[in-house]
Amino acid sequence: MKLTFAYWGNYTIAFKTLFRELGLDFIPPEKTNPEAIREGAKISPELYCFPLKVNIGNYLPALKKGADTIVMVQNVGGSCRQRYYGQVEKKVLKDAGYNVNLIDFRAAPKDIYSTIKKISGASLWQILKAFRFCLNELRLIEKLEKKAQYFRSREKIKGKTDQILRLAFEKLNKIKDLKELSRFKKEIFKKISEIEVDENRDLPRVGLIGEIYTVSDSAVNFGVEEKLGREGIEVHREMDVTYHLKKAIFPWKDWQIQRKIMPYLKSTVGGHGRDAICEMLDYIKKDFDGIIHLLPFSCMPETTVRPILQKIHLESGIPFLSLSLDEQVAEAGINTRIEAFVDVVRNYHKYKKL
Amino acid sequence: MKNFTFAATIGIPRALFYWKRPYFWEAFFKNLGCEVILSPQTNKEIVKMGVEIADPETCFSNKVYWGHLLWLEAKCDLIFVPRLKATEEKLEYCLKFFGIPDLAKILVKTPILTETFDPRREKTEKTFEKLGKKLKKNKAEIKKAREFASLKEKELKEKEKQEFLEKIKSKKQKIVLVSHPYNLYDDYVNLEIKEKLEKLGAEPIFIDEVPVSHYNDRSDIIRNSGYPKFHWEFGKEIMEKIQEILKYNLAGAIEISSFQCGCDAVLKEFVEKEFKSNKIPFLYLMIDEHTGQAGIQTRLEAFMDTI
Repeated sequence: MKLTFAYWGNYTIAFKTLFRELGLDFIPPEKTNPEAIREGAKISPELYCFPLKVNIGNYLPALKKGADTIVMVQNVGGSCRQRYYGQVEKKVLKDAGYNVNLIDFRAAPKDIYSTIKKISGASLWQILKAFRFCLNELRLIEKLEKKAQYFRSREKIKGKTDQILRLAFEKLNKIKDLKELSRFKKEIFKKISEIEVDENRDLPRVGLIGEIYTVSDSAVNFGVEEKLGREGIEVHREMDVTYHLKKAIFPWKDWQIQRKIMPYLKSTVGGHGRDAICEMLDYIKKDFDGIIHLLPFSCMPETTVRPILQKIHLESGIPFLSLSLDEQVAEAGINTRIEAFVDVVRNYHKYKKL
Repeated sequence: MKNFTFAATIGIPRALFYWKRPYFWEAFFKNLGCEVILSPQTNKEIVKMGVEIADPETCFSNKVYWGHLLWLEAKCDLIFVPRLKATEEKLEYCLKFFGIPDLAKILVKTPILTETFDPRREKTEKTFEKLGKKLKKNKAEIKKAREFASLKEKELKEKEKQEFLEKIKSKKQKIVLVSHPYNLYDDYVNLEIKEKLEKLGAEPIFIDEVPVSHYNDRSDIIRNSGYPKFHWEFGKEIMEKIQEILKYNLAGAIEISSFQCGCDAVLKEFVEKEFKSNKIPFLYLMIDEHTGQAGIQTRLEAFMDTI
């Protein structure tokens, strides 16, 4: 049994660690690139949401290399289509001539434990150790991304932050144990803090909200975060894996969100629909200069909340840009829209105090 | 007991969940002594209004709903937009239904009458009581109105069943139409596909009409067939009804799906598989505001020729 799994931005490094520590035989999925997206879209159902098409594109090369089992989590996003990803992927791949097995489990601690136990036979101690390593790595990756958001917009030598970040992720890929990881952590933070920055610049700030997969994978969203950073805009983003895990573990996070958005939406709409509204209100309170909303084309929760986001935008006057992404969106189109948006944000930042 | 003389005019959009329980809501509010305005059958104007105001990526059925809602604007005191979350069997509705009352509040200025129907959290009886309270009606009145409306609904269901049994006996080529009730019964939306098929000499059967006995243990059917356990009410319903209809001699199957319907994207995969594995010709039709009569006619004719 050779496993493969979905690719998800830089977090894939941590997932790989998890599989390796559990002693499972796996083939990492192909990195998301235009080629993979094109191949995936060719065989996927036309009206299905974009992440599924990307997933399939990521699996294909791994399947060609000999992987025969897909690991997919169910109901990550509440009641949206993500629940059927595993089933549909299996069917689509079967129709395309790949006979794959599917390991499909619910995203609850008990189910995760029993599934891992079944496929790896690892002891509880081993599983806990693997998860600790994986979570440590996840946290480090997220911290690096957060730091980069700050440094990218202020760096004196353009492109320095991205260069360091790229090397860091490459190195992180090779780290095999926890001791090495903590040593690497110190080293990389030192390196980042040595980047020369312009501390006193008054920069406009933009909040990135929307669907978790498109927001946090820079290969899918054409590097919106990096592009804005290079234009001298500080980007903030709440949505990442830890945020999602925290919400899954502590149910009151959801209740808090619901209380904040009560005037706008009185129910869940699945996925991270409520979170988008809550984050937008939060960014407005913190006096941000713009909001970018990213979603896969026809994502059910996000299209449901988009009229509400637009209403908030009209009420508060904050610049708002909603970008739907799918296999037919070209980078040039996104670039033009972001350039125009950057101008709006800069003007808003300059004149809002007058 | 005080008798309130509060009689409001209530508008009900004739789209989306109206078709899930046609006549029920109308009868319910009429029995409560309210005046009911139903929006007219879908027409070009309504679709145009809806499409203009809706989010471009939401599904066509939703756009039609907004059109009906806008038609009712200022014609009544309250517009009834329920928040349907789960059925009595604790299966969920499409998640676009969850946000509809809130989105409706943004679109129209007429006050919205809404209540959350979620039997997982609260008994349906209680929800109805809460709904009645908003109209200043007491418990007994609500109960009576609800029972009366259900009775009428039952009568219609029974009639439908008889009709189905007659249809299934007919010697014409039987074609089953798979879709949501709001696509099947709305003639403008589905481009009068029923009449078109009848003219071509076929006997169209709506999947909605197929009777399914609810007491059979169907768990082994689910295990044996290749489709997943749906958490959506229509997913479970349609798949079960397909299992039922496959017992009869079918000439073909047509699935109608509104453009950008997220649930149908999932469902189509399994519906198609089900029919194809039984060697029944299958046609997938997509409807949206640009679909033309002529295009559908050609496709139907071609489909009828193949069977």
